[in-house]
Amino acid sequence: MVWHIAKRELYDNLNSLRFALATVLLLGLMLTNAVVHLREHPHRVKQYQNGVSKHQNELQSHAENSLFKLAVEGPGDLHKQLSDLRFCAEGGETFLSVYAEGGYGRWSTDRLESFWILAYPTSTPNRKNVRTVVTKVDWGFIIGYVLSLVALLFTFDSISGERERGTLRLTLANSIPRHTVLIGKFIGAFLSVYIPFTLAILVNLLIISTSSDVHLGLDAWGRLGIIFFITILYTCLFLALGLIVSARVQRSAVSLVILLLVWVVFVVFMPNTLASIAGRSKSSGPSLDFWERSEKLHKELSRDYYSNRYKEPEDSPKGLQMDGEYVTKDAEQQEQLHAEQQNQRIEQVIRARSITRLSPVTIVQNLLESFAGTGFERHLQFLENVKSYAKEYRTFIEDTDRADPDSLHIFGVREGMSQKPVNPEAVPTFKDKLDFSKDFNTAATELLLLSLFVLVLLSGAFLAFVRVEV
Amino acid sequence: MLITLIRRELLDNLMTFRFAATVFIMLLLVVANTFVLIKDYESRLESHNDSVNMHKRQLQETITYSAGSADQISVARPPNPLSIFNVGFDKQLGNEVPIKHVYVPSLWDARTHGSSNPFMDMFASMDLVFIFQVILSLLALIFAYDALAGEYENGTLRLVLTHPIRKGKILVAKYVSAMLCLTIPLLMSLLLALILLTTSTFIVLNTDDFLRIGGIIFTTIVYLSIFYLLGLLISAATRRTSTALMLSMFVWGFLILVYPNMILTVAPRYKAPKERETSAYSKIEQMWKEFDKERKNYLATDDFPGEDWGYDLRGWGSRSAYLTGNSHLLFYKYRSVMKFTGLGEEDEPKIPHARKHFRYLGPRIIDTAEKTWLVRKPALEDIYIHPAKMERIWLKLSPVGLYDQTTEAWAGTDVTGVRDFFDAARQYRKQVIDYFYDMDIFGSRQWFSSDKGAAEWSNLPHFRYKRVDSYTNAMRALPDLCFLLMINIMLFLVIYSVFVKSEV
Repeated sequence: MVWHIAKRELYDNLNSLRFALATVLLLGLMLTNAVVHLREHPHRVKQYQNGVSKHQNELQSHAENSLFKLAVEGPGDLHKQLSDLRFCAEGGETFLSVYAEGGYGRWSTDRLESFWILAYPTSTPNRKNVRTVVTKVDWGFIIGYVLSLVALLFTFDSISGERERGTLRLTLANSIPRHTVLIGKFIGAFLSVYIPFTLAILVNLLIISTSSDVHLGLDAWGRLGIIFFITILYTCLFLALGLIVSARVQRSAVSLVILLLVWVVFVVFMPNTLASIAGRSKSSGPSLDFWERSEKLHKELSRDYYSNRYKEPEDSPKGLQMDGEYVTKDAEQQEQLHAEQQNQRIEQVIRARSITRLSPVTIVQNLLESFAGTGFERHLQFLENVKSYAKEYRTFIEDTDRADPDSLHIFGVREGMSQKPVNPEAVPTFKDKLDFSKDFNTAATELLLLSLFVLVLLSGAFLAFVRVEV
Repeated sequence: MLITLIRRELLDNLMTFRFAATVFIMLLLVVANTFVLIKDYESRLESHNDSVNMHKRQLQETITYSAGSADQISVARPPNPLSIFNVGFDKQLGNEVPIKHVYVPSLWDARTHGSSNPFMDMFASMDLVFIFQVILSLLALIFAYDALAGEYENGTLRLVLTHPIRKGKILVAKYVSAMLCLTIPLLMSLLLALILLTTSTFIVLNTDDFLRIGGIIFTTIVYLSIFYLLGLLISAATRRTSTALMLSMFVWGFLILVYPNMILTVAPRYKAPKERETSAYSKIEQMWKEFDKERKNYLATDDFPGEDWGYDLRGWGSRSAYLTGNSHLLFYKYRSVMKFTGLGEEDEPKIPHARKHFRYLGPRIIDTAEKTWLVRKPALEDIYIHPAKMERIWLKLSPVGLYDQTTEAWAGTDVTGVRDFFDAARQYRKQVIDYFYDMDIFGSRQWFSSDKGAAEWSNLPHFRYKRVDSYTNAMRALPDLCFLLMINIMLFLVIYSVFVKSEV
């Protein structure tokens, strides 16, 4: 009986104007998405590959030179691995830097040279951009905004419309339990939304996967499967909402007005307003700006160093020890400063993101980001990888230096460290990886939250319909 | 008769659920967002003031004129209070630009205050115009969808037309009453927003600002009317409420959600040819190379032996000089900085030569900078401004884009409005240079050394930035406003012809 009702709903919808319009709209959007992705992605891939090969070449040439050179100049720029699924969720990637900097050559004197530090470049593409900035049409946008609107447009009259026409009374006059009717209607609406959407997605994936520039591996297809599942959950949320309002309200026009207003508030306004409430920077920061602080730290250290250094002869082991301490301490301090600044910025964003989670559209966009391997959470993972790599790299330098019997093992000075070339193969290289289990962990809360919303609304729809008076 | 019709329609509309919902939602959203936007503006203003004070302090601490004029003089763009209505480019573009005698500042040399967090750019910023754009258009369509189709279905239209009334009058009555109904929530929410604005101690609005806000309100009403007429047209054409409603919603979704975001990725992108950039840059580079030759020539031929630009001064401090450029932004400059805290005995005879050299060099640098600006300015226009303008034309094909850009122009947050600030910055640079000439700063000892007293910055002219008057804003908004009005008239004529010809 459920299938019977669902089938009737489906046939009703298939012939309707909204079905045609929804199909055209979704197909058009998905086509645009695929075309834009194919236009932009190869360029990004090339940039990434150039970055990686530059990093490897630098390491090799430094290694062939000497261990000291490796210790001074560091590993160079470390690039973030690209996600093949960026068309699913853009995730504000343009505002996240694509690399972390292994910065060197900050200062040098005639005898000493600064050591490399880990720094975090920023990406501000719009500072000098006089072009209008628009939202990227990714799956997140299509699903979050357009599909949810379509879902409401398919359900707003499914009960109130029948009541107006009097057919609901007719249906319920037969010996069909109410929940069967509701489930049938739900399935019918679901299928009518998902037929055009699946079609659009298939066209989109067909175009993307047949292109020679993009290779979607098994992992990517698995992720796409999860994304599809999330989309289903999200759509169910709005279908259930539509059914609730449709059941409670006598006229379908009123039902649509309510639904649209709810949609506008939750989908369009809440993410933006909440982000600006939460993200307001507390300007209790230090009055000195970043570079001033950096300079001050360096100056203080230099003063201490120079006031003691002249007492020792230039080449004495104690003098070298002081040199080494000076250089390593400086690198440590500066790296710490950069990390602090980065952490402050990250905290502010995390605060803003945690509050925006109240809106279902943000939840679904965060989920898509997580599983597409883009966005802020992914950036944090990348930064973790970079940090652990920097540690590994430094340990490697120390160990190799220790293994060299000719070295004095004084870090930071040319005379105190191993001057021998290193086997380039032994030097660890940076390889950023997308980690599925980590992605899943970051997404778990949001996935649960979304499921909770869906369950609450579905039971709400059930209660609303059971109690409805015909 | 017309009055009776309008009264009937008005009562019909006012007593509906949708009107109550409209008022409620508008008030809720506008008040909540104004509150947030004011807070946001306040924090931006605070950050601006902090930055201004910091630069003042840093400048006071600078010991030589060469160091100050190379790095430390800068002007900051205050946030525009009307960015609460339409944020436009106010937040996005750089808000601080260094003033140096070695180049003419432009928008592309600007940076942002150090305290801002670049990650926060990820979140879209919202403004009141965005609310009107989304909500009011939706409400207008909701009011319009059954205005004619409903009467066809109920048969009331036939009843009305049995009286000796012209169809045009019915249309006018419907239009006037619905517009009245829609303007009520708009004005109410705007009044509340204005009350909130005036209670904030940080925001000072003058008469010009109120005129601009008036302009924004008028534009909003015109925009609203477009969507109402669009809804009316759909209603008249489809004759069935359910079809009209569905079609209206899809039209709304397309115009608000899809078109503005999709068109720029689909439309052909206009880009200035690469040669424009390279040719302009090589011209600029050439000018500076010529300057460099002249400079070296001076060093070689002056009566001081040796060709060192720093005249072998051996005091305590640092010095650096180099030519540097960025081909992407067509930026090129000669930078020379000397910071000596003390000079030795043997330096004393060299000092007159050095001063003469720098006195000679200052005007040459300024000349070259002005000359390169004449090349750079049109090139920047061609490479950055012109393509952006072409793109905006695509957006203007929809009323949403037109509305957005008109209100931007009113608020002064469009690119032109932001660029006014850089005009002011260029003016200020001239003042600073005049001051430098007047005080003979290029040829002073403090240009490179602070051993006989540090550089004195307190008499430097102050920078004052005043936004253009509301008349200029109106002139900038006028073309797009006319387009909006034209769309209105055309839509009305189309509806009229459809409605008059239709059979009841």
